[in-house]
Amino acid sequence: MIEAIRTQAHNLLENKEIDVVIGYGNGSDPTRTTPVFIRKPEEVNRLIFDPRCINSLPVYLNKRQGYPKKGWKRVGIIGKGCDIRAITQLIAENQLSRDEVYIFGVPCDGVVSHFSKWDGSLRDDNRATKCSECDVHIPNDCDFFPGERPEVDRSGPYKVSAPQVLNLFNLKTDKRFKFWEKEFERCFKCYACREVCPHCSCNICITDRTTPNWIDQAPHTKGVFGWHLTRALHLVGRCTGCGECTRACPVDIQVDLFNQRMKDVVQGSFGYKSGYSETEKPPLITYMTDDSENFIQ
Amino acid sequence: MSKKITRHDFEPKIMAFVCKWCTYSGADLAGTSRMDYSPNVRMVRLPCSGRIDPQFLIKAFEQGVDGVIVSGCHPGDCHYNEGNYYARRRNLAFRELLDFHGIDLARLEFSWISAAEAIKWTKVIDVFTDKIRELGQHREYADMTDPYAHYLVKEAA
Repeated sequence: MIEAIRTQAHNLLENKEIDVVIGYGNGSDPTRTTPVFIRKPEEVNRLIFDPRCINSLPVYLNKRQGYPKKGWKRVGIIGKGCDIRAITQLIAENQLSRDEVYIFGVPCDGVVSHFSKWDGSLRDDNRATKCSECDVHIPNDCDFFPGERPEVDRSGPYKVSAPQVLNLFNLKTDKRFKFWEKEFERCFKCYACREVCPHCSCNICITDRTTPNWIDQAPHTKGVFGWHLTRALHLVGRCTGCGECTRACPVDIQVDLFNQRMKDVVQGSFGYKSGYSETEKPPLITYMTDDSENFIQ
Repeated sequence: MSKKITRHDFEPKIMAFVCKWCTYSGADLAGTSRMDYSPNVRMVRLPCSGRIDPQFLIKAFEQGVDGVIVSGCHPGDCHYNEGNYYARRRNLAFRELLDFHGIDLARLEFSWISAAEAIKWTKVIDVFTDKIRELGQHREYADMTDPYAHYLVKEAA
């Protein structure tokens, strides 16, 4: 599989059709992989793909991160199904145009969540939770796919993959507050959840603005609550569920529970699934005159 | 004309984010018509209900407000044609988010009040104030203490 991608990448780089291939390479640690930027055709052998490739690469298509670099006409990117969803959403938000990227789709059976349990084979106990309800094992949109790409039906509704969302939802309101209070006590505001997010694309994040100071910068609970609420709010109808925020969290707060809950709400209220269409407008920048208003007096 | 004054142990602090074309004018009408309504509400006038960023509401709750009212023109009446439609969608999502976060949704109210509905405005405020008075102070945020406070110099803490 990866051989076909290497050959294709080699050809495209040699013909100067793409300027760079963003992919995965071996990391410093044998259990890990690292993102690599291949710019010379002879370096394509560094590209690999296996369940250890957990990073979401579309963050390198984000303007806030300074990518794509000046002078890059077309960027080749290796994408798992969930990453390609993020790219599609970036295109739907006009952050990127479709002809700026060349997507190498890869078939993916899931990625590892806990490297301590990784021994070379993917099982239920070491697979990431986002992979359990995945319907993009075969990517839904790509320019190149190794071999034949079978058609998969993806019209079904969005399913919440983390069981904690339902557990939390069944709790009483004040119990839920206590849960988050306990979780967020650990947060020290490193903003890793923002840095890895392909959709956090503001040039200056609202939490970095100090005049006026909307979100308290101090890492005590009030500021942390404000930050996580704002973060989840800004991702309503945009989050594609790559789960990078939870993976990047150094203190293991499941920050994507908010996003998963909101994806469910958006699907139920507005009938929108993020990351499946390049032309459909995200739900909060459009409206219907007959939207539900049962909460309004 | 004058209502009997009753004293309560707890006076809730209520914040209203309102649209200047409808609800603010409605409240203005209530004032010029000398209607009585509870004085617990503090109003913030904004150009449109579509201007009301949920960030304002988060900040309000953080600053220790007991209840928040968001109000604007009826659908189809917006001065800017469509602002309140966006506000409706945004607030639907925001309510779900607050609920998942664990804040009682009874503390957040959304209503459509037109410039002519002074009576509705007084009713909404009175009913909401009574509801919040029953719920009591919004303790969740008020009880939070800064764990780093003892590192600060005394004057700053």
